[in-house]
Amino acid sequence: MAVRRLDESVPEFDALQTTIDRKKVIQALSKLEVMSNEEGLIPAFNVFVNQMPAAFWNSFADRLTRRVGPDLIEAAEWLLVNAAHECGYHTGYGIITSEEWKAVVAPMVTRVPEDILHGAFAVFTAWGWAKSEIVDLVPNEKMVVRAYDYYEADTVAYGVRSRPCAYMIRGVAAAFMDLAYGGPYDATGQTGLRTFQCTQTKGIECGDEYGEFVVTRSSAN
Amino acid sequence: MAVTRTTELTIDRRFDPKTCRHSINGGVQVLHCHHYATLYSQLADDCGMLDGKKLLAEVTEDTYFDVLRNCYAANGINTIEDRISIAEQYFALSGLGQMKVKCASAESGEVELTTSHVDQGWIKKWGKRDQPVNFIGSGFIAGAFSAVFDKPTRAYSVTETQSIVSGADTSRFEVVAC
Repeated sequence: MAVRRLDESVPEFDALQTTIDRKKVIQALSKLEVMSNEEGLIPAFNVFVNQMPAAFWNSFADRLTRRVGPDLIEAAEWLLVNAAHECGYHTGYGIITSEEWKAVVAPMVTRVPEDILHGAFAVFTAWGWAKSEIVDLVPNEKMVVRAYDYYEADTVAYGVRSRPCAYMIRGVAAAFMDLAYGGPYDATGQTGLRTFQCTQTKGIECGDEYGEFVVTRSSAN
Repeated sequence: MAVTRTTELTIDRRFDPKTCRHSINGGVQVLHCHHYATLYSQLADDCGMLDGKKLLAEVTEDTYFDVLRNCYAANGINTIEDRISIAEQYFALSGLGQMKVKCASAESGEVELTTSHVDQGWIKKWGKRDQPVNFIGSGFIAGAFSAVFDKPTRAYSVTETQSIVSGADTSRFEVVAC
C-alpha cells in the first residue's frame, strides 16, 4: 500500500494510520435501528431517509443500463453514479455532524480530515452499504477503497459481468473526498460537490476478490 | 361502516457481521436518502426513450410484490383487510410515507398518501412541479394490489391523479385491473 506525501514541508505522516477503532464503530453503529415516524417518514441527518430492499436499487440500475444500448451506457452509468455522489455528499455531511457520530466516532478523531474519512468508511460498512476500507490515501489528491462485500455485486448470480456496476460506491467514495478536501460543505451543491471523481477498477461482480475504487481530483477542476 | 382489525407487521431485523449487511424479514435492506430517490425519479422521468417512469414503477412493483407475498405466506396473512394493513405498514417501514387504501377490490381501488418521501424529498431538493414524480409509489401500489388479490404482476394500472409535489395536501392514486 503506497502512502505518499503531497507536500514535503508538511511533517510526514502515514495517512493510512488512524486512531479510528473501526471494529468498535461497526459494532456500535450496526445496532442502530432506523424507524419511521408516525407519518411514515424517516427524517434524519438533514435528509429524508428511506429503507428499501437492495434488490430495488439493483434492479433499476441493471435494467436501465442493459436497455440503453452501447451508445448511451456511459451516460446512464454517470447518472447513476451522480445520484450516489449527491446522496453521499449531503447525507455524508449529515452523518459526520450527527449525534451518533459525535457519540461514537468523533472521540476517536485525532487528525482531520483523514480520520474522518476512515470513520466515514467504518460507518459506510456498519450501515450496510459496503464492507469497505481505505487502502491508499494521498491527502487532498487520491484515495483507493476496497470493498469486500457489497449489495451491488448481487446483480450477478452466475458467472461474471463484463462491466463493473458498483455505481453507488463510486459516487459515495467521490463524495467523501469532496467532503474531506473539496472545501466547506455547500448545501446547494454549487461548490464542493464533484471536485473528485471515482473509477471502479475491480469488482466482485466481474470475478475479482473485491471491488476496488480509485478516487482522484475531478478532471473538470 | 366496515370494521377492520389491524394486524401488526412483524419486523425481524438482523445484521450479519461477516458481510456487514442488514436485513428485514430475510431480505437485504439498505438506507438511502431523498437525494438518491429523487435523482433516480428524475432519471426515470428524463429517460423517455426507454419509458423510464414505467421502468422505475415496474421495478418497485416487482420488488414489493415479492416482499409482500413472502410476508403473507410466512405469516399466514389471508384476509384482504390484513393484507392491506401489512402493505400500508411496509410502505411506512420503508420510509416512503403514510399510505391509506381508501377502497379496494380485485377490479379497482383508490389510494391516498398523506405524506410522501418522494414528493416531499423532491420539494426539499428542487421545489414543486406540475407533473407527478412518485413512480415509486405507483409501482408499490400496483405490486401491493397484485399481492393482496393473488394476481400476477402487471395486473393493475395505477394513475396518480393528485400530487403532494404539485401542492396538494395529499397524493391520490386510482387503481384499475388491466
